[in-house]
Amino acid sequence: MEETPAIKLSGITKWYGSVQAVCSVNLDIRQGEFFSLLGPSGCGKTTTLRVIAGLESPTAGRVYLEGEDVTDVPPYRRNVNTVFQDYALFPHMTVEENIYFPLRMRKISRVEARPMIQEALALVNMSGFEKRYPHQLSGGQRQRIALARALVNRPKALLLDEPLGALDFKLRVAMQKVLKDIQRNVRITFVYVTHDQTEAITMSDRICVMKDGLIHQVGTSEEIYNSPSSIFVAGFIGDMNFMEGVVTERHGDEVVVDVNGFIIRSGRPMGNFVVGEKVMVCVRPEKICAQDVCNLEDMQRFDNRFQAVITRIVFRGNDYEITVGLGEASMRLIESASDFKGENEGDSLYVGFLKEDVLLYPLQAEEEKTHEQLD
Amino acid sequence: MNSSIENTCPGPKKSWNRALLQGLPIFMWMLLLILVPLAIMFVTSFFVKEGVQVVHRLTLRNYLEFFTNPIYLPIFFRTIFLALSVSLTALLLAYPLAFFISRKVTRFRSQLYMMVIVPLWISYLVRIVAWRTILGRVGVLNSLLLALGLIREPLPFLIYSPFAVYLTLIHIALPFVFISVFSSLEKIPSNLLDATSDLGANSFQTFRHVILPLSMPGVVSGFTLAFVIALGDYIIPQQLGGLNGLMFGNLIVSQFGYAFNWPLGAALGFIMFAVAVAILFFSQKLGSSEGFLE
Repeated sequence: MEETPAIKLSGITKWYGSVQAVCSVNLDIRQGEFFSLLGPSGCGKTTTLRVIAGLESPTAGRVYLEGEDVTDVPPYRRNVNTVFQDYALFPHMTVEENIYFPLRMRKISRVEARPMIQEALALVNMSGFEKRYPHQLSGGQRQRIALARALVNRPKALLLDEPLGALDFKLRVAMQKVLKDIQRNVRITFVYVTHDQTEAITMSDRICVMKDGLIHQVGTSEEIYNSPSSIFVAGFIGDMNFMEGVVTERHGDEVVVDVNGFIIRSGRPMGNFVVGEKVMVCVRPEKICAQDVCNLEDMQRFDNRFQAVITRIVFRGNDYEITVGLGEASMRLIESASDFKGENEGDSLYVGFLKEDVLLYPLQAEEEKTHEQLD
Repeated sequence: MNSSIENTCPGPKKSWNRALLQGLPIFMWMLLLILVPLAIMFVTSFFVKEGVQVVHRLTLRNYLEFFTNPIYLPIFFRTIFLALSVSLTALLLAYPLAFFISRKVTRFRSQLYMMVIVPLWISYLVRIVAWRTILGRVGVLNSLLLALGLIREPLPFLIYSPFAVYLTLIHIALPFVFISVFSSLEKIPSNLLDATSDLGANSFQTFRHVILPLSMPGVVSGFTLAFVIALGDYIIPQQLGGLNGLMFGNLIVSQFGYAFNWPLGAALGFIMFAVAVAILFFSQKLGSSEGFLE
């Protein structure tokens, strides 16, 4: 028998007036996992989180915490806590009083609470800040206090609503590590809302990608990165080359596509395609191998091989992003700084990639639009 | 090669003189319109009136008069008591209203806000006259109660009584208290209320531990405003107070207006000024929450 999920959403739908924020979402979040809700702004991820917290009641559907239906339980009686985007620390209370607040609501005396507060502060590495007021703390410190306050009650699940959104890059990376360490230590289920795909990929055990209130894919970082279920996911997670083409042949799992006269073989069609159908061809830039001299033996292993002209070279610090033209289409590839051979724009380059690294998606009007938005 | 980055920025400009120059207009304004008149009044309060002449000799006689003449102290304390009751009542009435409009109402909020504020557009004197017609012996209220058969004779305490002064002063002070409480409630970010709820507080606990403390600056400034308005008023007691509704402000006015005893009037005025300043001082300490909601 499978274990009871920490959080189960069943058919959650939320309307704000005539706007649908979330559309029949079903999710099982496992005990102790780091689960991310990922998507662009307005995709319904925050609404989903607020429904779990009880701050919004769903228009339809049920919410279960450890198997118990809590749909009609008010937020203050749900054993989950939230870290809000802008921390929501009480400005008139000291750090200590802020962390004492949830304990106080449970009628725990100040004396009893002291060691718990100390422990929570130690967990976020903020011991010694008890008497400070929130306005005397930096953004990162406030963030930690908000975390300590949400954890002090040992909730069944911790909900985090873009908690690092307001921090600068270096601090954000440092806090990602802190969060991950804390999650390993306390073994509480974390539900993490973010629009930052790198953050989601590096931190999560599993990710749920959402768009327009719908779930596009749920899976581990690797699953979502390597086998995106839709064009949207393919473009939203990581970097991706998109090229439109027409199916010319089909042999079992191998599909041959014509992209502006270039023949590309794909070993991973994401759908049942017929000859003549328009498709979107997707290849990750880092899967493309480049050589400036045609070394036949070395290129032999690639199912797709082309000679192309370099149209742009961008130095990015630890690597170079090289754009090559394929007829009217273009393709980006990555060459690490140590492999870079000093090519120039206008030089020709031999590029090759495996058919297993070529994904095909059906091309529909709506998804075409998505693709354009992403560019 | 120079490996370190040197700070060769020019230092901060010494702009002492400029700051002084910029502050000069406001200082002059304060000096001419507030400090000088106050100083004149303060000095006058130590002069004395002998016959019809004001003698320019410094003495404490006016202040002694205040403490020894049995007229002044009872009215003085009654005035303070009335001002306190007025501001407390106005606060108790305005707070729930402000809370309701700022936090519970979603539609027509600004219209409701305007409705509370609208009396401020009507002249103070007109509103006093209006209350006379409402509270008078043959006024609206008495006529209505008589017509309904609820009373046989007009209620005597409605007008020319401390009650009438109390009621009218509340009416005058209420919008001011409302505005200051409303704006402090409005400033409380709604995510704090999400947080209280999330951390286990029900609505009452949320109110007690977060909303009330964070609205204290508005409460204190509203209370102070109402207190100062009520303390110094003399038109309402004159129009609606009758003999028992006489307030300290009336005594001051009569010294200036009828008795022509400006030194005594100045002394009485200064005593009241001191009370108002003391109240302002304490309430500022109580309601200070600097840096909390920025």
